[in-house]
Amino acid sequence: MDHSERLALFEGVRTRYSAFLTSVLWKLTGDKELFAEATQYALLGMWRHVEKLDGKNAGAYIYRIALTANSRAWRTRIGRNGQFNRDRIGVEPEPSENIRRIELTAKVRKAISRLPDKQGRAIVMRYLQQHDYPAIAEKLHCSQAGARSHVSKALAALKNKLVSLA
Amino acid sequence: MRDNIEDILQNIGAEAVPDDVQTIARETSNNFSRSLTQTGPSRQPILLETLMKSRISKLSAAAVILIGILVLTIFFVETNKGVVLAGVLERVEQVRAFMYKTTVAGNVITVTVSTEYGMKMEMDTTDPNTGESIIQQTFFRPDEKLVITIMPGQKKYTQMEYDDAFFARLRKENNDPREMIKQIMSSKYTELGRSVIGSKEVEGFQAADPTVFNGFAQETNTILWVDVETWLPVRTEIEYMSNDQVMASLVIDDYQWDIPVVASDFEPIIPEDFTSLTRDAIKMPSFDEEAALEGLKIIAEIFGQYPKNLNLMDLIQMFFDLRERGIKGNKGLMDAGLTLKEEMNQMKSEHIQKAMEIFGTFQSLGMFYMTLVEEQKEPIYYGESVGPEDADRVLMRWKISDNEYRIIFGDLSVGNVTAEELAALEEPKP
Repeated sequence: MDHSERLALFEGVRTRYSAFLTSVLWKLTGDKELFAEATQYALLGMWRHVEKLDGKNAGAYIYRIALTANSRAWRTRIGRNGQFNRDRIGVEPEPSENIRRIELTAKVRKAISRLPDKQGRAIVMRYLQQHDYPAIAEKLHCSQAGARSHVSKALAALKNKLVSLA
Repeated sequence: MRDNIEDILQNIGAEAVPDDVQTIARETSNNFSRSLTQTGPSRQPILLETLMKSRISKLSAAAVILIGILVLTIFFVETNKGVVLAGVLERVEQVRAFMYKTTVAGNVITVTVSTEYGMKMEMDTTDPNTGESIIQQTFFRPDEKLVITIMPGQKKYTQMEYDDAFFARLRKENNDPREMIKQIMSSKYTELGRSVIGSKEVEGFQAADPTVFNGFAQETNTILWVDVETWLPVRTEIEYMSNDQVMASLVIDDYQWDIPVVASDFEPIIPEDFTSLTRDAIKMPSFDEEAALEGLKIIAEIFGQYPKNLNLMDLIQMFFDLRERGIKGNKGLMDAGLTLKEEMNQMKSEHIQKAMEIFGTFQSLGMFYMTLVEEQKEPIYYGESVGPEDADRVLMRWKISDNEYRIIFGDLSVGNVTAEELAALEEPKP
């Protein structure tokens, strides 16, 4: 495939998945700077793998690209200072319970970025996109019981990661 | 805690995307798209400044030196000249000596290159086992066919013997940054537009084809930033990837062009009280078919199977993963592998020598495959499905003439066949 063909394909893919990526990456990052960074990585991933995004497995690839982009953005952030910046997550001085909750939400997002691929996808599908289990099972190419298992394992992994992040 | 997490996840899922975030998404996406079509230069670099942490940080210091060498040996692709980068190439061609710094997995390597006297590298690393700082100076001595590394702090040195082909390649490719520019030019590069690095206004170029380094890594992302006033490189960013994972990332910057050098700058001085890290000079195998067969044989002896692919980065990773296997148990290792693993962990001179010689066979295999790719001999490798027990199946083949192929079978026997015979051999067996 030559450059112009790749470009044409990329434009189609970009249009098709723009809303999906924006929604998922925003929910995964909750931080404008992190979101912009993850979006750049996702676009780069789409450009690199654009041929794969035109086939029947495009849906699976786009999830993988989004989750990889999110992980990379978080890793870069963690590499910078390891701390959450309240200005960046838009937190105004509020009662302590709200601050605690916002910080916990940020930690959950960070923990999602460290989940294995399939668990990450299961969490995104179940909670961020609010899909039911039959839909998740179809997308993950597994049974409904398998889908429930992935979600359950992911929740357990998140719990462990939150303890280690505490 | 679990209910709490589910509650938080539900809340995240219910969040709407704010308007200003929608705007960020739209602008980021449009900028990226524009940078690809070159209808208007982007003001932002496509790849962000901070590169990923590398799995290579686990490698031993000696290996990082070899990585450094290998990184420098990849810039080889013949090219169709582009328009804008041709000016950069012309300017760089006039330089006789230069220096730059490369950062690989947090290790800073300073490289000095003279078109007249040769090349040397100085590397400041931290031993991953002891945390000890190690300074290594490596001198490339083509006349003696030696690569000599000196570790002043440890009063140690190593000597590796390479053949003429290695140095011919080194002379051709490494002493000259033109090869990197040619490589980017050959891949229908993307202009990234202008940006600022330090106090310099720069223009960015990205190799658009991620498979341009096929044979070295599955995918490579290369970005070159050049000074818009002098048209000399200011910074290069390279990521090597395999199976969607970043295997190594490096930044080359702090270029100093047209520096004064003398011959003695490139002559190693080994004080009398320094001792060799290995018992004898390590003789590195060639990058030919015989060495590649030896590499496949040794890998099969260690792992009981052939490597899944022959990309050089993956082979290097495979070798150094051996030391980490203790964490996951020794599953998959043959007796030879268990012995080698133990020896690699002992660090006695004879063990280091043996390990480095075995590493040389991995390296030769990868370099041989890379050379076939480079020479457009269309190598195909079936290591994922063919093992040592598949005596009559094709493990690897490449073109040697219009209608003739060279074949390595699963039992490592070799032969030449016609295209028709090859088709019959590669037909799926019931």
